[in-house]
Amino acid sequence: MAQFWFYVFTLVFFLFDYFILAMGLNIQYGETGILNFAYIGFVAIGAYVTGAVSLPNSVGTAQQYIFGFNMPFPFSLLAGGVASMLLAVVVAAITLRRLRTDYLAMVLISLSLVLYDVINNYVRLFNGADGLYNVPQPMAGVLHLTSNAFVVFFACVTGVISLIMWAGMSRITRSPLGRTFRAIRDDPDVASALGKGVFRYQLTSMLIGSFYAGIGGGLLIQFGGSFNPTAWLPGETFVVFAVIIVGGVGNNVGLLMGALLVETLLIHLPAFLPDIPGHPGLIEYIDAMVIGVMLMVMLWFRPQGIIPEKIRRFALPVGELLNRDGHSVEAPVEVASTVTSATSIGETHEGNQG
Amino acid sequence: MMTYQDTVAPTGVGGPILRCDGITKAFGGVNAVNGATFEVPRNKITALIGPNGAGKTTVVNLLSGAMKIDSGKVQLGTTDITNLERYKIARLGLMRTFQLSRELGGLTVLENLLVAPKVQAGESLFNIFFRPRLLKREERQNLERALDILQTYGLYDLRDNRARELSGGQKKLLEISRGVMAAPSLFLLDEPMAGVNPALIERIGGYILDMKAQGVTVLMIEHNLNVVERICDNVIVLAEGRTLATGTMKELRENKEVVTAYLGEIINAGPGH
Amino acid sequence: MSQFWLAFGFGLVTASVLAIAAVGLSLQFGITNYINFAYGDFMALGAYLSYYFNAEIFHINIWIAMVFGSVIMGVLAVLINQFLLSPFARRFNKSFYVLIVTFGLSLILLNLLYSIWGANNRTYSMKLEIYKHIGPFLLNKYQIIVMIISVAVMVGVHLMLKTTRLGKSMRAMSDNTTLAMTSGIDTKRITTITWFLSGLLAGLAGTVLGITESQITPSSGELFLFVIFAAVIVGGVGSIYGAMAGALLIGLATEISAAYINPAYKLDIAFAILILTLLFRPNGLFARPGKA
Repeated sequence: MAQFWFYVFTLVFFLFDYFILAMGLNIQYGETGILNFAYIGFVAIGAYVTGAVSLPNSVGTAQQYIFGFNMPFPFSLLAGGVASMLLAVVVAAITLRRLRTDYLAMVLISLSLVLYDVINNYVRLFNGADGLYNVPQPMAGVLHLTSNAFVVFFACVTGVISLIMWAGMSRITRSPLGRTFRAIRDDPDVASALGKGVFRYQLTSMLIGSFYAGIGGGLLIQFGGSFNPTAWLPGETFVVFAVIIVGGVGNNVGLLMGALLVETLLIHLPAFLPDIPGHPGLIEYIDAMVIGVMLMVMLWFRPQGIIPEKIRRFALPVGELLNRDGHSVEAPVEVASTVTSATSIGETHEGNQG
Repeated sequence: MMTYQDTVAPTGVGGPILRCDGITKAFGGVNAVNGATFEVPRNKITALIGPNGAGKTTVVNLLSGAMKIDSGKVQLGTTDITNLERYKIARLGLMRTFQLSRELGGLTVLENLLVAPKVQAGESLFNIFFRPRLLKREERQNLERALDILQTYGLYDLRDNRARELSGGQKKLLEISRGVMAAPSLFLLDEPMAGVNPALIERIGGYILDMKAQGVTVLMIEHNLNVVERICDNVIVLAEGRTLATGTMKELRENKEVVTAYLGEIINAGPGH
Repeated sequence: MSQFWLAFGFGLVTASVLAIAAVGLSLQFGITNYINFAYGDFMALGAYLSYYFNAEIFHINIWIAMVFGSVIMGVLAVLINQFLLSPFARRFNKSFYVLIVTFGLSLILLNLLYSIWGANNRTYSMKLEIYKHIGPFLLNKYQIIVMIISVAVMVGVHLMLKTTRLGKSMRAMSDNTTLAMTSGIDTKRITTITWFLSGLLAGLAGTVLGITESQITPSSGELFLFVIFAAVIVGGVGSIYGAMAGALLIGLATEISAAYINPAYKLDIAFAILILTLLFRPNGLFARPGKA
């Protein structure tokens, strides 16, 4: 029975953690239109830094890593989030201003591969291919938790963190800043013709998203106690894309739904299945293919996701506002019908360049 | 009626709002704009006319910073805006529309307007989390103004529709009203009446006259000379990337060069074209 | 100094592989105007198809198996375009969608290879060849053949683009698709042929990569992908000749640097060059107005 709850709360943990990761990628891709194919790299930096700052000094241990500050949770987690943001600043400064969407995606996927290569080979950074392990479980000692109880405890902690981060994200996406992000997503040229410094906003969006990536990564290493390069192969970025596209780009509830379907049900539930004899890893491979196919089917038949982006109506009572100002709410009906008849556009009588 | 309380006249009140000095632009060896020189007088409606391929849209792209100027100089008020970044030009009060309307399709009609004010406190992360009351106040002001404008432009009932769902004419109105929301000092309109029905042409003409009454200077590309005659104070004729003539419509009709280069065909085609 | 020339020789081999791959990617990009993020997996799939003919059935000579593998990869590329990519590209006007689809395709192909052949390294069945000194270089017979193949492919692509009707149509389409269509070019046919060529070259590049590295794994193409991207961006995206030049530059730079730094990082040098290029010549070193 204890084993059963261990599984359930492991799934709960991944649900909330991927909800956080999905929110981070969604602000970049779904809201601002930045195709960040290096997203998992930002997650990994968060995980490694969180792990490395919460471990004791590496001298005398079997591992090699930088930092080693014995930093307590949740400061270790914040360190991971900040580290990921620092990476975002560097990446954005080099690439965002210079590249259109698809070249940017090319450079970012390259970045993710190179980051992978470097961390794998440069052992002194984060212990190379072995990765970090024995990362202390937050508060397990203080609360005298068994490892099963820790899973329950930490799944709940992650749940609370994800709710706080959800509240923060909703605030951003509903603000004028979120609106400007979406304007840039829809047409960066128009946004800059309206006086929006596109680069600055894209940078802001990258920073917010990479903070979420870093926190989500930090939680991964705090939960599992270890993190190594097999956890963040470049293809993992695609899983997060699948979460947000299946769930619904631009809709936070949809993201939670996507995390439930893709991450929990499709990735972690099958991981509990026993291996097919003689075919180690086959289930995992088939699983990845299923996710790929599902995403394509979804993109084709329901590109807006299970729960589409909401029409943003306004909290302010529009009608009351107008009445107070002495306008009649019915007034424009007749005018609007005139407008509807004015449809044919597209043929303009000038064939000018530009 | 709407108010343009934010409209700022750049310093040097009285002189032309825009001075354009010998600007050129070449595409692969072809000079699309070839030393265009003109001034746009303040608080007037000026038309930019010329035959197809005269470089009118390119001029608008150059003035608004959408394209880089090869040589020449542009001054907005007293500020040199030659090859300034596009968003900075917009922040100085120069707004533009596009020949083919470019709505922000995923945003609602109302949001298209709300996004327009150039600098908003609510675009700062700090303010979002630590100064919610400032945000609320600002948002309320913008909302009132946006709804006013939408009502004037007959888009009020469509405010919660996604902009991509609008008809062509509605998109045209949305684009103009979005520019108005940004409270420009100089508004460049690239064929605001192209491809719309006569009733709507009337209405858009009215809106442009309203803008002038509210202190906005307008520079518009327009083919319909009846419209130009009726609402524009001033006309700039562009041909082969150069300024051919400037003056009132009446003066231009007496200018032989202009008539042969451009006006002739249209005058002969009769009114109503 | 001799160390430098040795590395230079290896650089030419890497450049040969890279040039084939980069030209295949560029041809397709020029025509369809979106990046194929599954290209690395096309390479790996081609490499495994060759392996299948060479070591699993038929047991034919690797060079013949390579031809089979590449041609089949070309056909697969056409089918993938026909039934997957082209419908997405036509339906959505934002390039986001088709890019994500190619990214997903990459995941599918990679895991397909893992499911069929497992994660272990495989080697082609071919005789061991000793390395011989040729001038200042130290190369074996296979590496020399790979270089010859690469030069032949480059010359072939050049002649095709410059002299054949097909090549001229391709260049016209790459410059301006709508214009090409209105001037009577059968753009659909050209697109299909381009995908075939792109798949063919991917399969070829994947196989010769496996030959020069004497092993193949499902992820070998994917890990090579950013080196190809580096070559393509450094050369100027969409330019075929730029891709060739970029491949030469990146191939030499990675191998020569391996003589002086830890070879584990040699491919990362490609990324460093890519970043420097972006900082100082964002349009690529060899970019000229207009493409290809």
